[in-house]
Amino acid sequence: MVAQTTAGSMADMGAKTGGCVTTFLLIMHGLLAVALLGGLTHQAVAVLWPARQTGGFATSYRAVAAARFTNANIVFYVLTFVLGAVIYPPYRIAVRTWIERARLWHISGLFEYKEQALAIGLAMLPFFWLVWRDPKDQATSVARKWTTAILCVIVWYSFIAGHIVNNVRGLFGQ
Amino acid sequence: MNITRVFGLFAAVFAVAYTIAFEWHWELFSYHPRTGEFGWGQQPSKGGPVMHWYGAIGTGFVAALIVSAAALPFTRTRTFPLWLGWAIPLTCIVAWAWFLRNFFLR
Repeated sequence: MVAQTTAGSMADMGAKTGGCVTTFLLIMHGLLAVALLGGLTHQAVAVLWPARQTGGFATSYRAVAAARFTNANIVFYVLTFVLGAVIYPPYRIAVRTWIERARLWHISGLFEYKEQALAIGLAMLPFFWLVWRDPKDQATSVARKWTTAILCVIVWYSFIAGHIVNNVRGLFGQ
Repeated sequence: MNITRVFGLFAAVFAVAYTIAFEWHWELFSYHPRTGEFGWGQQPSKGGPVMHWYGAIGTGFVAALIVSAAALPFTRTRTFPLWLGWAIPLTCIVAWAWFLRNFFLR
């Protein structure tokens, strides 16, 4: 009986420790996503709506040297993606199962679409780097605009969807 | 040969292969998060949820690497259209909205 209780307590402690690590990684995932969101939005706005000169807040926001964001955005995307992939199994066990039992299909669908779009976006990163290699090359101008816009929309959608899912049922939430 | 010339093709093939892998259950492997086990192909449940996402990404990457490597010699004489790198992935992303519509129409 004592052994069973001790074993049970050890299992609880293990679950709590694992839960803390997962929560920490989830917060890191969120912070990296914020950095990615900021960088990619800057780059997308600058390429889709370029400003000729700096002035107020809006024109200054658009007047950045967009190409300088490329490598940072790729690194942030990969890091955010990898962290998301690491914390996916606890989500699958603790959160999605609960969401499905609660028959919140639209919430589950939001996350399903996020994972598909992000995976496709991941494979676009080498091409994203290529079209930004020479930002003055007119031959890649259309591809540069579309690729940046697509990745920006993917990241914005994923950020909002992840936030909604986390609000509905955070990891190990009650 | 210039490896950067197949980056657009890589993105396109990955998007198509990933989508087909998920829809037709051609995942490279499956993962059982409750037991921490991996298994080749699509696996049935072992008393818990089964994750196919990693396996579908694996299928997509293997297919994209094979096709890109096969296309590499052709980059000496021809260039692949740039729209492959964004239009095909965009089409697949739109297609996924259709595949997942039942989540939102229940």
